[in-house]
Amino acid sequence: MTSIAIARKSIGRRTWRFASLAAVATIVIIAVVAGLTTPAFLTVGNGLVIIRAASMTGIVAIGMSYVTLSGNLFALSASALGALLAVIFALVTAQTDLPAGIAVVLVGAVLAGVLQGVAVNLTGNPIIATLAFGAVFRGLASVLSGNGVLRIHNTAAAWIGTARPLGVPTQSWTFVFLAAVSWLVIRKARLGRQIILSGANREAAVASGLRVNIVTCLALVMLSVGVAIVAIFTVAQFSEARSNLFSGYDFDYIAAVLVGGIALRGGQGTPLQAALGAVLIALLENFMLLNNVSGGLLMTVVGTVVVGAISVFHLLQGKNR
Amino acid sequence: MNCFNPRRDLAARLAMMIAIYAIFAARLPSYYTIPGVASLLDGAFLTGVIALGVGLTMIAGEMDLSVGSMAALAGIISIKLAPLGILPAIVVTTALAAVVGAAQGWCIAWLRINSLIFTVGTLIAFRGLALLISNEQTANISLDQLDATDFLSVHWFFVSPLSLILLIAALVISVFCSRTLWGREIFSIGGGRAEARAAGVPMGRPLIIAFALSAALAALAGAVLSLQAGSATPLGFDAVLLDAVTACLIGGVALRGGRGSVLGIIIGLFTLRFLVSGIASLGAPFWAQSLASGALLIALILVEGGYYAFARRRAFAKSRLAAG
Amino acid sequence: MLQMRNVAKRYGATVALENVNLDVKAGEVMALLGENGAGKSTLVKILAGLEQPDSGAIAIGGKPHNIGSPAQARAAGISYVAQELSIVGTLSVAENVFLGDQTVGLLRSPSSLARRAKPFLARIGLGDIDPSLPAEAFSVAERQLMEIARLLSREARIAILDEPTAALSEVEIDRVKTAVRTLAEEGCAIIYVTHRLGEVFELSHRVTIIRNGHSFAPVATSSLQVDGLIEMMLGRRLEQMFPPRAPSVGDKLLVVEDCLCQGLSSPVSFILRKGEMLGLAGQVGSGATAILKVLAGLTPLYRGSITLDGRPFTPRVIRDSIKMGVAYCSDDRKRDGVFAVRNLVENLSAPVIDQVSRFGLMNRRAETTHTQAVAQQFNIDINGLGRLAGNLSGGNQQKVALGKWIGISPSLLIVEEPTRGVDVGARAEIYRHLRAQTARGLAILFASSDTHEVLGLADTIGTFFQGEMVQIGSADAMTAEIITRDVTHPAVAA
Repeated sequence: MTSIAIARKSIGRRTWRFASLAAVATIVIIAVVAGLTTPAFLTVGNGLVIIRAASMTGIVAIGMSYVTLSGNLFALSASALGALLAVIFALVTAQTDLPAGIAVVLVGAVLAGVLQGVAVNLTGNPIIATLAFGAVFRGLASVLSGNGVLRIHNTAAAWIGTARPLGVPTQSWTFVFLAAVSWLVIRKARLGRQIILSGANREAAVASGLRVNIVTCLALVMLSVGVAIVAIFTVAQFSEARSNLFSGYDFDYIAAVLVGGIALRGGQGTPLQAALGAVLIALLENFMLLNNVSGGLLMTVVGTVVVGAISVFHLLQGKNR
Repeated sequence: MNCFNPRRDLAARLAMMIAIYAIFAARLPSYYTIPGVASLLDGAFLTGVIALGVGLTMIAGEMDLSVGSMAALAGIISIKLAPLGILPAIVVTTALAAVVGAAQGWCIAWLRINSLIFTVGTLIAFRGLALLISNEQTANISLDQLDATDFLSVHWFFVSPLSLILLIAALVISVFCSRTLWGREIFSIGGGRAEARAAGVPMGRPLIIAFALSAALAALAGAVLSLQAGSATPLGFDAVLLDAVTACLIGGVALRGGRGSVLGIIIGLFTLRFLVSGIASLGAPFWAQSLASGALLIALILVEGGYYAFARRRAFAKSRLAAG
Repeated sequence: MLQMRNVAKRYGATVALENVNLDVKAGEVMALLGENGAGKSTLVKILAGLEQPDSGAIAIGGKPHNIGSPAQARAAGISYVAQELSIVGTLSVAENVFLGDQTVGLLRSPSSLARRAKPFLARIGLGDIDPSLPAEAFSVAERQLMEIARLLSREARIAILDEPTAALSEVEIDRVKTAVRTLAEEGCAIIYVTHRLGEVFELSHRVTIIRNGHSFAPVATSSLQVDGLIEMMLGRRLEQMFPPRAPSVGDKLLVVEDCLCQGLSSPVSFILRKGEMLGLAGQVGSGATAILKVLAGLTPLYRGSITLDGRPFTPRVIRDSIKMGVAYCSDDRKRDGVFAVRNLVENLSAPVIDQVSRFGLMNRRAETTHTQAVAQQFNIDINGLGRLAGNLSGGNQQKVALGKWIGISPSLLIVEEPTRGVDVGARAEIYRHLRAQTARGLAILFASSDTHEVLGLADTIGTFFQGEMVQIGSADAMTAEIITRDVTHPAVAA
């Protein structure tokens, strides 16, 4: 190994620290600038709006970060799976009751995660495998919903979707809780270690006797569970489910992971970064919305930032890891 | 050892396509009447043209995920450029896209970055650009120009400008792929990147060309369809990647790169079209199409991926038999 | 034709070439000889444009030349057949012959390409194959010959062949020799890198020997003897590098009987006892590592039987081996030996995650205790366990790659090239650690292309040449000369 490569690597390590710091710093800067320029920004109501928006993206982004950390890039099926699980939840809850609905959705999420994991392992191409599953999930959602709107009338569900314990929405409590749990999983749990090692060097993980294929499945299961939670919250909040729910949200989830600065080749970073990324994007969106900036500009900016971030991190890390 | 025979492989895929055609043609008159065939051909235009480009990047061992966004962006741009005349609008849009695609290919080659990662970023950025340029509104062509786009919708028997463009694009790409140095270089870096590099194949050029063509073809499809319809929405073409990749995989383009042919992609395209529009014509709702193409794609990748796992297992089983 | 003056190249702290001079005349076959790691490959890569020298000058036909890329090397008339194959399996044979050749023309039809490839293929004895078939339909040996055909097609002024015969059988080697002779007669300057002394004597006019990054003045082949050549290659090494043998050999552990697998042309048998170190010596393609891969569960066993501790042993995946207490350390630690972006604790505990965790949670204390114990055994700085593995030197990385296996308390440790890319100081240390492990009853099976390493480290030595085991016996009966002869030119020994 050349000394340049070593130097690059230590820079690379610092880059990741820098990346998460940069996310926090940007959040602070945006908050300050927005607060100074837009009076409506720094209100409690708006703050709650931002946090709730960040929560729904963030919960899935945390799940997505497991997939990325395990070295499997992204899943493009999260939004479609969300729609399918939302429809299932609405159907089961309407016909039986809330616990049954939640149980069925969680079982469905685990099943979806395992199936996708098997496909990803067999093909070695997570993007294509999950793209295909996404189409099937979306199609199934349409089949099950008869392509109509499913309504539920369940007070317990409504409480889950709209309650604000201590003034903060349930979604945001869950988001914070999951972010903390995710940090514990990656730092303290055996599974977290296995995910990190599989992502850091898949070949070496196999050679060390790790069951990389099972780890991939579990990462996708965790993403699916995250999706399931968001699906339940969404149905509970609006008391209805449609097959086109979450359409186009996949890139919000991916953008959150990327903006948070998680290493795309896996093995470096924590889900907390994805959570921060989600907050950052929600802030930006809210700020631009209040200032009547178009969503197109936002998306362009996010896309460009993503491309730029990918390239810069990639260069700093050294071309040949 | 069983050797991969491209001719036999294509023949099998062709047989499958004909079988699917026959199954539906037996029930649907629209599969052999002139207007029916014309609409089948026109329906294949979008997926077909884009599949040619995506197929090239897959053959190079990469994948361009940004084609859907590029088509939407090109649709908006071509509508904005329509006052220049319809043909110039198409040409300029396609050329612009080619330049952007070449830049994308250059970045991927220079950074040596996984194209799946890079094009996810451009996918978001192009879509955002489309929203930005269009002000998040559906862009419409001005009324006095509406007549000028009529020539895109004429039919001579079952041939239309759309099917002609698809045919010409397929022929050009086919010749490029099989008969030019640059085309063969794309195949060589997909078949074995390290080997090709050691043999002296430059890494930049094939990637730049593959991604330039992929973007240009996506833009061509987006521009032509948008002008034909007279309007473009910045959120359009979001499902086309799935269909394009499915067509490529049915047509024998390998996920691992290096293998594939234009003829195969066309066969894959029509296998998919016959199946999907057949299901639709038999009265299944529109979402059954996405279900069908998704399930088909899953089956395909499982077969391709499963084959490697199976081959390894068999080698071990055989050896155990011999050892025991 | 070609002159290289005072060429030097270093990779970080490792000096690959210190001061190399090379002179090759037109129409001459210059054999390039040297032990593994002497710097031959680096030299060849510099000429091929794959690496840039740090200093020194290269002149071609009397004019100074800068070879910055493979394309520039090609333009300078240099053609290169690499040790690793550069045949793309999915392309046709004809396309492979002209692959990377920009001069054939932008437009090319498959049939005309096939027609033009035909004569080149015929010259290397592949005249009767169909050039339009994909290259993957052919054997490794035939693909190697296609590379030679490519070299012929380029009408190079300077041809470099880096171990072109490593994967070939006798008949095919003869074809290569004929092609090389014809090329030389046509006035091409040829640099021929090989480990097979027979070929050196048959083909080359002069020999340049590279040792530890230095070149020796070329010697006419006709004035050389096999023994003299071996002595020049080996030179004198520091013998105290190797720890004393500890003959604490115990019961039979591993019994390999009549085993045939990928990479071997005739069956292999040997016995390994507890506390014994068995070294297999052989060059690339000799089959020395073949049986190691079977034991690790990487490749299938075609026939024969293996027992471990009296029980049949047929691993199908790496996990099977690990469960049976067999640890495997490959020769490519960057690929699958270390997690470069993770710290040493995580690297060292990777194989024992299950043992240092409870109820699904990592037990930090157990993990620390465990990794510190391993680190102590392998003399890894305990205070530096938080560092990233990728920031360590090659020697320390290798200590990590080997040391992590001590944690699973294996009964058998399999190592390919125990000290590849490791500097001299760290080598002695690794040898000492490995030897210390055998004192605890661990059996070690290793393969190496470094003669001195096998001789100095192993209790029992097996030598390999062209997919066959030449002989196996106690290290006491072996010398560096015997091993070198076995792995380069066993016919002379017989």
